Amino acid sequence: MSGLPRRITKETQRLFQEPVPGIRATPDEANARYFHVVIAGPADSPFEGGTFKLELFLPEEYPMAAPKVRFMTKIYHPNVDKLGRICLDILKDKWSPALQIRTVLLSIQALLSAPNPDDPLANDVAEQWKNDESEAIKTAKKWTARYAKEK
Amino acid sequence: MSVDMNSQASDSNEEDFGVNSEEEEDEDDGGEEEDQVDIASYYEGVASDVEQQGADSFDPEEYLFTCLTYKESQRVLTDEVNTVAAALKVSPAVAKLILVHFHWHVSQILDRCKSNSSLLLSDALVQPSSACRSVTAPQSLQCGVCLQIVRRDALLALPCQHSFCKACWEQHCTVLVKDGMGVGVSCMAQDCSLQMPEDFVLPLLPGEELKDKYRRYLFRDYVESHFQLQLCPGADCPIVIKVQEPRARRVQCSRCSEVFCFKCRQMYHAPTDCATIRKWLTKCADDSETANYISAHTKDCPKCNICIEKNGGCNHMQCSKCKHDFCWMCLGDWKTHGSEYYECSRYKENPDIVNQSQQAQAREALKKYLFYFERWENHNKSLQLEAQTYQRIQEKIQERVMNNLGTWIDWQYLHNAAKLLAKCRYTLQYTYPYAYYMESGPRKKLFEYQQAQLEAEIENLSWKVERADSYERGVVGGEGELSASDRGDLENQMHIAEQRRRTLLKDFHDT
Ligand SMILES: [Zn+2]
Ligand SMILES: [Zn+2]
Ligand SMILES: [Zn+2]
Ligand SMILES: [Zn+2]
Ligand SMILES: [Zn+2]
Ligand SMILES: [Zn+2]
Repeated sequence: MSGLPRRITKETQRLFQEPVPGIRATPDEANARYFHVVIAGPADSPFEGGTFKLELFLPEEYPMAAPKVRFMTKIYHPNVDKLGRICLDILKDKWSPALQIRTVLLSIQALLSAPNPDDPLANDVAEQWKNDESEAIKTAKKWTARYAKEK
Repeated sequence: MSVDMNSQASDSNEEDFGVNSEEEEDEDDGGEEEDQVDIASYYEGVASDVEQQGADSFDPEEYLFTCLTYKESQRVLTDEVNTVAAALKVSPAVAKLILVHFHWHVSQILDRCKSNSSLLLSDALVQPSSACRSVTAPQSLQCGVCLQIVRRDALLALPCQHSFCKACWEQHCTVLVKDGMGVGVSCMAQDCSLQMPEDFVLPLLPGEELKDKYRRYLFRDYVESHFQLQLCPGADCPIVIKVQEPRARRVQCSRCSEVFCFKCRQMYHAPTDCATIRKWLTKCADDSETANYISAHTKDCPKCNICIEKNGGCNHMQCSKCKHDFCWMCLGDWKTHGSEYYECSRYKENPDIVNQSQQAQAREALKKYLFYFERWENHNKSLQLEAQTYQRIQEKIQERVMNNLGTWIDWQYLHNAAKLLAKCRYTLQYTYPYAYYMESGPRKKLFEYQQAQLEAEIENLSWKVERADSYERGVVGGEGELSASDRGDLENQMHIAEQRRRTLLKDFHDT
């Protein structure tokens, strides 16, 4: 496809002008469909104090098809697997072309505040989360300290 | 069309069948001790059945179906669409969405329409629910997808009033249809699942090619969602099978001859049910490595140890050297196989297994699976070998008729015997997954008893067919016809085997 759809340009501009608290998304210098994303661990969650790097890519069919998002920072979370893939309905069958980069990132931030072990992607983590939540939260905090603290 | 759908002939049979199987289940609640008695008295009944009735008096597999061409099935669909469209006062395209949602149960739709038609429309996702409709705010002139300001007349919306520009709708439909979607294209707004009728989608698709694809996907989805229709699974076959009552029964396509189960469109699998056969086939695929070693074509004679190759379907083997008669499956003496309690098909579970180590339990589970798998595989191989015999018989008959040695009618009996053998063997093969998943108890005992009876009669039949084939070919006892008594014997054997098969299906293949 030629050029960048106006919608992507508009969304990018808006992300600059009205940034979402706790989220930073910057387009790659070489590829305007690729975004470097940083999400701050929400307060009162085991991810508090951590900064999590993600990559977000807008496929050719965007916005008719969902963006592809992945955690780059290791995270102990029942809806994120070892490869950083995220289990989130709006990234799959619940995608609507009316959703935007902003709404997707907000949903991921919300997922950090409220993990959902009943709809797991990482089965062993979800299992642990359901069987012994306090132990799971301890592990998640440990991982946050080890992998998500900026040195 | 292969069968007259209007014929009432088998309806009464089907009802009888339902009643019988219910009674059977009630009996099973009885204790273990009654078991032997049950079997014996049960069997008495069967024996007299065999004598009193012809083999074709009751067929538990009887099932009425029609093979429709593409045009004929379109007509069936169109008639129902028109009925619903007229009754609900909606467009045919919207009527189709409603029909899909309710699996084409027309009378159910008409009933619901009478009691609450707006609820019907919102349930079928063709109208927004009344709660939702009131929230619809006046639309801005910005398209929510491309974020461009557009002229009011360039905005399009479904009845939910979620407006987007035409270019975005076009792209939305194109992406989904290219992805193989027919029914199921819905509104672009977040959390709105209102369905797009085909007359909304079609004008938005660029090019005839994509429109055609979309129509094909729609047809596929209409047939798939229709409770009485099933598309033939044969390669590129456009035939649609129509039934009155959907059941796990054998149907055959009149165009490509594909035989399949109406309910699951897989290989026909009576007496095993659809879910069980899927489980079994998955298990066999997963465990194919462990089961590989079984695939031997040679075994040693249990008496003289000479190596014997199996080249026919019959499991009654006779050693070419010492003439010992034995069973290919269990290597036991064949004489014991003809008796009342034929043990070869029955797996003896270790009653003490729950108290043993995990390792021993795993070993036992594997042993049990291999027992059933071996028999399943063996009958499958027999089927293939018997298909070769059948082929040979066909050729021989052809040759004889051409040389004026009797007419085609004279040889028909051998042809029929080989065909019936295949039918019986096929059912027998599918009794093994059934037995594997069956809970132990009186019902399993009864099943295994009938299975053993069937197996014994099939091997007798196979033996006789192979022998007749050899006679006709002059391999055994010189050139010449089978005597009339041998022929009567074969025909009698056919009758008994088929009767056993039907008895088992009647009692255990409830659908
Ligand atoms: Zn638009
Ligand atoms: Zn809508
Ligand atoms: Zn066909
Ligand atoms: Zn089936
Ligand atoms: Zn021998
Ligand atoms: Zn045996």
